[in-house]
Amino acid sequence: MNESETIICRCEEVTLGELMSAAKQYRCSARELKLRTRAGMGYCGGRVCRHAIDTIARLANDVPDPHEPPLKHQPPVRPVSFLHLGGEAN
Amino acid sequence: MNDARIRTHPILGELPPRKEIRFAFNGIPMQGLEGETIAAVLLAQGIRTLRYHEASGRPRGIFCNIGHCMECRVTVDGIDGIRACLTTIKEGMEIHAGRKLPAPLKRGGVTP
Repeated sequence: MNESETIICRCEEVTLGELMSAAKQYRCSARELKLRTRAGMGYCGGRVCRHAIDTIARLANDVPDPHEPPLKHQPPVRPVSFLHLGGEAN
Repeated sequence: MNDARIRTHPILGELPPRKEIRFAFNGIPMQGLEGETIAAVLLAQGIRTLRYHEASGRPRGIFCNIGHCMECRVTVDGIDGIRACLTTIKEGMEIHAGRKLPAPLKRGGVTP
């Protein structure tokens, strides 16, 4: 598998290679990995790649911290536009 | 219409005819069938690129097709962020694909 061409986060266009090298360089948590690369911060709210980022962060650390929380779901869980909130949508 | 639609199904047989709907994609007039989603009607005509990524400009199309990933979002009648895979076409609908956006304040214009 070509890591530099495999896109993990489609919204922010972050590849597996970018995530792996950042995870190896900084030995960081999933949240730090997300903030460094922007993976999981795009339009879909991380619904597609959240678990992949968690897994990459876990695999990159030799001794994973069992108390490290996984990436959280930010409300609203489903995208809601202001158009819908304001009752303007049909 | 010469397209990729299934009209004769191996089990269901001949499918009933459906009303034709006219709409426009990027200003080009097109026709589809009632009840079809924007993603399906464009795919039937061989259009797989629904938008271009805002930052990189690389083409995007159907990814999950269940309203989950937001990859197929298009602008419908002036409202952006509409998922093409969930929205059925309506008469006179004007659909526009997303384009690469200018990033004048970004250093070099690209992400490192």
